[in-house]
Amino acid sequence: MMSSKAQSSNNLAHARRTVQQLRIEASIERIKVSKASADLMNYCSEHARNDPLLMGIPASDNPFKDKKPCNIL
Amino acid sequence: MRSPRVPEMATQEVQPNETLTHLKTESDTLKTKLEEERAKLHDVELHQVAEKVDGLGQFIMKTRRTLKGHGNKVLCMDWCKDKRRIVSSSQDGKVIVWDAFTTNKEHAVTMPCTWVMACAYAPSGCAVACGGLDNKCSVYPLSLDKNENLAAKKKSVAMHTNYLSACSFTNSDMQILTSSGDGTCALWDVESGQLLQSFHGHAADVLCLDLAPSETGNTFVSGGCDKKANVWDMRSGQCIQSFETHESDINSVRYYPSGDAFASGSDDATCRLYDLRADREVAIYSKESIIFGVSSVDFSLSGRLLFGGYNDYTINVWDVLKGTRVSILFGHENRVSTLRVSPDGTAFCTGSWDHTLRVWA
Repeated sequence: MMSSKAQSSNNLAHARRTVQQLRIEASIERIKVSKASADLMNYCSEHARNDPLLMGIPASDNPFKDKKPCNIL
Repeated sequence: MRSPRVPEMATQEVQPNETLTHLKTESDTLKTKLEEERAKLHDVELHQVAEKVDGLGQFIMKTRRTLKGHGNKVLCMDWCKDKRRIVSSSQDGKVIVWDAFTTNKEHAVTMPCTWVMACAYAPSGCAVACGGLDNKCSVYPLSLDKNENLAAKKKSVAMHTNYLSACSFTNSDMQILTSSGDGTCALWDVESGQLLQSFHGHAADVLCLDLAPSETGNTFVSGGCDKKANVWDMRSGQCIQSFETHESDINSVRYYPSGDAFASGSDDATCRLYDLRADREVAIYSKESIIFGVSSVDFSLSGRLLFGGYNDYTINVWDVLKGTRVSILFGHENRVSTLRVSPDGTAFCTGSWDHTLRVWA
């Protein structure tokens, strides 16, 4: 069992850490959701044509879609 | 000789409760301020901005390979950078390396513990890392000699005080990042086993982690049973951002390919998207009909699609921008426990409690 002094010093240390953490989080610079959304959309459209799962690539270009290999006797 | 008294300690002994109250007030004030600052910038919803984007057509994705060989639940998998090899780990203690093109097993290791919850491929392709109920993360160099006993060369790297939930090499074979049921994440030097940095802040088990794309800098995100997703600075060990909107455990986190956002999957049956620069949740991927937890999520290469593996045995495919589901995939006969898109984006692999892995394209 912790002594009540040790307990309260634990709580104090925890509270101090929480405040420090919140200070860091509160101080960061933020942008508007409209700007963030536009950037996400731009990234998607810039990279869409290179996204095989999105574009669907022909079987001949996708090693996982290849037909069963022929056995050469 | 008496040790010098720290001034704070003197205050503590005299009026501990007052200081605690003062801190609590400041903490509440800061939390309110955080919410206000975030709300000020919430001028629109992502799906509204995305209305002008073309909708996605029908997707035909099927199982192209089934990897059979595990004797129990598959818990984790990872792709090799060569886009064809896969490492997977299982409840029965086995770690298997597969050639996903041919479905051949190339290596197999039996761990000294059951529930190998985490496995990862080294960037070089020459080693794999794994761990679970043994509370450790061990690295096995992969030998070209199929007959060689891999277990003999095993290197114990990480030591936690509870189960290992996830592990990932950083951008080289030299460092590994781990998360654990002990509530912490840690960065380790593989060669020496030395702890380089530890990350404290989660209030419960940490279940998952993902490293930011290398261009974005030295950060990673973790998710835990405390319903929080935390973003960390790898050098300082500092938590720089924290998000708490999920209603249950966060089982999976994955960065959006640009590094400006990340997705999460939770036992609350939703996936969510958090934008790091807006510092808030910007999308929720959910349906009333989806009531089972999400175990794992990953993005397609462009970030337009989000794949989620669910505890109801299905995979749901989401339009990240519009927030709608574009496809539902069936095939597994038990929970989907792990899901990763291949490095070149041509396919994704799932692992399941039905003992198999499936490659979809």
